[in-house]
Amino acid sequence: MASRDTSFLGGRIPPEIESMSKSLKDVDHETFRRILKAVVSALEGKDSRDVMKAIAESSTVPQERLSHIIAGMYRVLSEAIRIPTASLKQEAFKDDLRELRIPEDFITDFSSVVFGNRRAALEAATSQNDPHLPTIEQFKWRVDVAISTSSLSRALQPSVLMQMKLSDGSLSRFEVPVSKFQELRYNVALILKEMNNLEKRSILQIQD
Amino acid sequence: MADAAKALSGLLSGIAQNVYYEKEEMTEDLLRRELFPDLSEEQFRLLFDKMRGLLKSIATADMDPAQLEAFLTAQTRKQGSGGVTPEQAAALSRFWKSQRVRVRESLLAQSRWEPGLRGLSWRVDLQAAAGRPDAAHSGPVALVELELGRAGQDSEFVCLEFDEARVNQMLKKMADIQESVDRIVQHT
Repeated sequence: MASRDTSFLGGRIPPEIESMSKSLKDVDHETFRRILKAVVSALEGKDSRDVMKAIAESSTVPQERLSHIIAGMYRVLSEAIRIPTASLKQEAFKDDLRELRIPEDFITDFSSVVFGNRRAALEAATSQNDPHLPTIEQFKWRVDVAISTSSLSRALQPSVLMQMKLSDGSLSRFEVPVSKFQELRYNVALILKEMNNLEKRSILQIQD
Repeated sequence: MADAAKALSGLLSGIAQNVYYEKEEMTEDLLRRELFPDLSEEQFRLLFDKMRGLLKSIATADMDPAQLEAFLTAQTRKQGSGGVTPEQAAALSRFWKSQRVRVRESLLAQSRWEPGLRGLSWRVDLQAAAGRPDAAHSGPVALVELELGRAGQDSEFVCLEFDEARVNQMLKKMADIQESVDRIVQHT
């Protein structure tokens, strides 16, 4: 990793990061840490508007510079967390920030967010933003036996009525004849088995 | 004689196509032309209505072999045009032996109004990129597509995502449902 020609930020430094590094001049360390903490909790998906407001009201840094700093920090952290630690070493990360003339103390703080024990939580939180299909939020079922119908005097046929509420808010209700239900159950069991196998083998070892 | 039996069998399966399997192109007129060209429209109509009526009685009651035999014996004893000839009884018996399950299935479907589950397909993925290749805490993901549809309508598809815990939960519910179905089936 000694001779890397591009920064982890890519060939061109994102504008918000450039303005952050300019705006960070003569920001005191305590203020920096308060902002960093608020940005990290925003990345974790928490509502940090009140904290941000408090910082803006109490800080001597003008609003405009403050917003440059926040935007830049957010970008630095989210870019760095995207890259697996195997590909972005701590030293390289620090070097890249030094290139941007960010004060050494601040670099240490950035680095402890990206490579410290908060990383797992940050990764988990940001993965929520990846595209997902809806999940089942609520699943209800009922087993019915049709006794007699307009076309069959003695039906006596069990069937399962299922109702699923999905995370996108939609509701899906359908009937499953017993024969189909066996198929469904079998497949769910198969899926679980596949998932277990996958975890055991951990077949996907991506290295770059 | 063999031809007459064949024509009768053809007629019964034609009626079943039309009445139970939703093949509307199998019309009365078509059956007459193809199977009984020698009968007049009037004569054929009588035969067609009789067979359709008998089939309906058999299907609605979902007769088992013993019931069917008793029913057909009673019908052959009837006098006049309402009665059933031994050939017709034999054809009905043959037909019902092979089609009972399918006809019953179709009749059950006629009283099913919610969309039914037609099929499902699934795949298991590992999230590899977009973020975090160290798949430490983004375990495998199951993508499931349910095919749902009402009788005679096109399918709709519902796509879902499950992590392992959710699949496990679902399997548990399936076991509950199974238990509940088994209880009912044992009682009847």
